Amino acid sequence: MKKLIVIGVLCFSANSHALTQKIEVLGMVCAFCAQGIEKSFESVKNVKAVFVNLEDYFVAIESNDENGIDENFIRTVITESGYDVKKIEVVSESVSEIKRKYESK
Amino acid sequence: MLYAAPMSFKGSITTMATASKDHVSLESSYVITAKNAIGISAHTIKGNGYKLRAGNIFHLRRLMRKNAVSSQTNLWLFTNIGKINIKKNFKDKDHSYLSPTLQFDYETKRLFSLFSHQILRVGHENFDTTKIEGGFSFYETGYNETQPWFILKAKNTNSLFKKIEYTPTLRLINKAIFMDAGITDGDPSLHLMYTF
Repeated sequence: MKKLIVIGVLCFSANSHALTQKIEVLGMVCAFCAQGIEKSFESVKNVKAVFVNLEDYFVAIESNDENGIDENFIRTVITESGYDVKKIEVVSESVSEIKRKYESK
Repeated sequence: MLYAAPMSFKGSITTMATASKDHVSLESSYVITAKNAIGISAHTIKGNGYKLRAGNIFHLRRLMRKNAVSSQTNLWLFTNIGKINIKKNFKDKDHSYLSPTLQFDYETKRLFSLFSHQILRVGHENFDTTKIEGGFSFYETGYNETQPWFILKAKNTNSLFKKIEYTPTLRLINKAIFMDAGITDGDPSLHLMYTF
């Protein structure tokens, strides 16, 4: 029981420090092209999870700490993948929650 | 000797192969910056009594991209430099060549269109190629799903083919994999592309 409580506290603690950024991307119309964005962000040390959504043209990035990923760095990665950034915002949901929301549609 | 704009993301390698009755090719390219890729390719093409064998290096430059919310418009310049062997009437000769291609394409999640023109003049021969392609995807898919497309391709290559070739094509895209399977005058053709 104690173990479960410790694991629960650790999970809660880990999630409470994570931060999710949602990036609206212009021109992201096919998976073949968009894979560059996913691969580039997945290789970043501080990134915990990445979700590419073609339906609503956005990318969600969850980082391991509350600082998130530097917005200039995000813009550089998106631009070097061939796209433009429309908007970057911090959202309260985790990447897995966003994924679940779209999978249940 | 035309390409499907094999530019992915910076640092990526794209390899593609094409096989049909009249055309076999293999190529690989590396994206050095967001707008530039370099690569190598080899081709054999036959038609109208000609047999061409070519090997070249190429530079691909993205001249323009307009990213809108739900569409992408591109203008590309391909520059090929290489060696070509032309065989006709039991005579064959090697030539060096420089061949530019200008390509314009527009795509959304459901629509695709492309126009390209390649200039390839070798000695007194004119092998210029014009391509027009257009099509639609059958339905919208998620990022991790395979998206099927129908594309109609029309191609004219001077000297090699006496008429415009029409190729109805089934295109399948699944992230790093891109496959075109088509039929030209009853002959099948296959184009595969993979990005590492």
